[in-house]
Amino acid sequence: MNLVVLLAIAATLVAIQLVVTRWLKLNRLAWMALWWVALWAAFSYGINPPLPNSIIVLFMAIITIALIAYLSADSDELQAAQSAITRFMVDRQYAVPLLIALVALPLLVALRVYLETKAAPQPPSSSRTIHPPPPPSINFNGTTLNLTTANNPYRELEDSDPEAFAEHVANGRRIYFQNCFYCHGDNMEGSGMFAHGYDPLPANFNDATTIAMLQESYLFWRIAKGAPGLPSESTPWSSAMPAWEDFLTEQEIWDVIIFLYEFTGFEPRAQGMPH
Amino acid sequence: MTSMRPLLLFLTLCLLPCVAASQDLGTEAQRAEGKVLYDVKCAHCHGYNGDAVSVATAYLHPTPRDFSSGNYKFRSTPSGELPTTEDIKRSIREGMPYTSMPAWEDILSESEITALAYYLKTFDQAFAGPYGNPTVIEIPQAPRYNTDEAHLTRGRAVFEANQCADCHGENGRGNGPSAPDLMDDWGYPIRPADMTKRWTYRASPTREDIYRTFTTGLNGTPMPSYQQTIEEEDRWALVDYVWSLSEDDPDYGTVVTATGRPGPLDLAGDVDLFVNVPEAYFPIVGQVIEQGRAFHPGVNGIAVRAVYNETDIAFQLSWHDMTAETTGMNHPGLKVAMFDPDQPDTTQGNWSDAVALLLPAAMPEGLERPYFMFGDPRNPMSIWYTDLAADSARVLSGQGSNAITETDFQLEHTANYNDGKWTVTMKGARQHGDMIFAEATFVPISFTVWDGYANERGNKRGLSAWYHVYLEPMERVSAAGPMAKWALIVLLVELALVGLVRWRTSRQRNK
Repeated sequence: MNLVVLLAIAATLVAIQLVVTRWLKLNRLAWMALWWVALWAAFSYGINPPLPNSIIVLFMAIITIALIAYLSADSDELQAAQSAITRFMVDRQYAVPLLIALVALPLLVALRVYLETKAAPQPPSSSRTIHPPPPPSINFNGTTLNLTTANNPYRELEDSDPEAFAEHVANGRRIYFQNCFYCHGDNMEGSGMFAHGYDPLPANFNDATTIAMLQESYLFWRIAKGAPGLPSESTPWSSAMPAWEDFLTEQEIWDVIIFLYEFTGFEPRAQGMPH
Repeated sequence: MTSMRPLLLFLTLCLLPCVAASQDLGTEAQRAEGKVLYDVKCAHCHGYNGDAVSVATAYLHPTPRDFSSGNYKFRSTPSGELPTTEDIKRSIREGMPYTSMPAWEDILSESEITALAYYLKTFDQAFAGPYGNPTVIEIPQAPRYNTDEAHLTRGRAVFEANQCADCHGENGRGNGPSAPDLMDDWGYPIRPADMTKRWTYRASPTREDIYRTFTTGLNGTPMPSYQQTIEEEDRWALVDYVWSLSEDDPDYGTVVTATGRPGPLDLAGDVDLFVNVPEAYFPIVGQVIEQGRAFHPGVNGIAVRAVYNETDIAFQLSWHDMTAETTGMNHPGLKVAMFDPDQPDTTQGNWSDAVALLLPAAMPEGLERPYFMFGDPRNPMSIWYTDLAADSARVLSGQGSNAITETDFQLEHTANYNDGKWTVTMKGARQHGDMIFAEATFVPISFTVWDGYANERGNKRGLSAWYHVYLEPMERVSAAGPMAKWALIVLLVELALVGLVRWRTSRQRNK
């Protein structure tokens, strides 16, 4: 939602009702046109992320039908609107505005056609699934890891043996700054020195929608299997995430996961909670 | 007045100890706050003792700064002197572009940055001593950018008189004759700035920044100070000359638009082949995904143009490279050992520069395409490859980094190295095997550059993500036809409507 735009649209309608109508009486047709424009503006500019054009066209068609139905519910109103349109087309006093409208509309359509032909063609793109569902289990260098039940084996040290836990954090820090920060960045916000050259951009771990809402076993899967382990809806062919099972041991991966949470201050999602 | 002198002398003597004590070192609490921040945010690269001894040092280039030396690149103070607190804060705030040092201004607050700066000062005792209060060189406000020929010629003369080209190259591409041998104060290799790419300047890219950089020099690097040697009037001429060589924005593209050129595409003979063809510039970054990781590639961007005719398509690739390695060899399939800080790579001199453009081996039907690391078994890749030591270009097939094989497809090519810039062209058939470059379609494309000087070969390389090449139709479809058609239809509907309404109204009136 883009509140500023929506409030501005509402304020404009109220202002027209309160102020403009003092000098200029607006008939039902003019109000319908105003509502139509206001709703179009709200759908086009008031919603974030923006709606696809085809959806907006669909909405506006429904709204047009609804407005006509509203108008025809009262036969006097319908009569008045009809006669207003008829007068515009027939009466001599409207000859000049009618002529202008008759010429302007085809010109607008021609302009639209021109802009469509001239617009630079866009390369194919698609939406991409950011957090695809993980497989039930993975094979990590010969051992099977059940992702729904696997826990970080060093997590319990946080309470039972803080000193030993600190060593895992330090080891995770070493691994991160020898391997990960080129893309994920010094502050884990996905803006490392090589980030600008990769597509999709590296994940930002400070964002509450990444590691904060994921289980540690999910991170283990993503780190161990990298891009080649992604399902096709997550574009494994362009993701630059390495399959770290080729470089790191199981313990090193759990340690760097501990460091990610330690550095960002997030807690991993508890085991058993749905994604 | 004469009677005042002893008094003044006395006052000065009284104030001396205060001057020594007036270094800007912050409070105990600020330094303590700085230490906490430093150990969390900075120590993994700069070392817990500020001496650049860390787990990451061997993986970084340029090497992280050793704060115990008191040598700071960015300073507003004379060469060899310590920086001011504000200078240190600025380096933290804005970072060092194109190094591993990020900008912290959006992450740390102003007071946190101040606390960090005070803590950094504790690594070198000199900050507390008599040199801890350095004089600041005032940088005058820049006059309007002057592009008069006489002014820029004068700037060029200053550039030559001060031997800037020895390191930075004749046209500032970072390719001077001394460039390959440069070392920093700690004995690590260091590259001179490519002046043409202002966005990579370490000490920011405004004209005042350029003025300050050559006035104060960059401590710890071979960049000297020209504080004494350049006349004030000549300084802005030099600044404007450097400015005229450079661009401030890489303006990265996503699509190479190939222009249709009916008739033969003569790579070697037609010097105008790529004239007026739009250029797209793409970032090149280190391959840090598979074995052979390149942590500091020698090339950071590539410019691409393309033309095509009825049967062929030709690409022009150009990039800045400090030196041309045209001896030795290279090949995408070469094996490179995993980086090990204890096993320095001593193979320098064996590897030539090389370049490749990477395409799917068959035009993808959906969005799926080959894995951008030289393809995968399901989706092979076509690698248009030129080894710049061998006078040939050919198409290789990639089904992954460990599965690169030769093919029968031939390419024509040209290669030229001039003043720090490689320009390579490659031409191949628009249809070879299952790959078809059809008009008005987007074909996935990516790029790889090997800098032989940086020991890049095989999978140790600079690479790009997937982009597209679009073959702009040779015959432009005119918009006039559809425009007239739709305008006429709308007009006829309007006239019919108005006519109908009028006809009905007149009939009703007649009744």
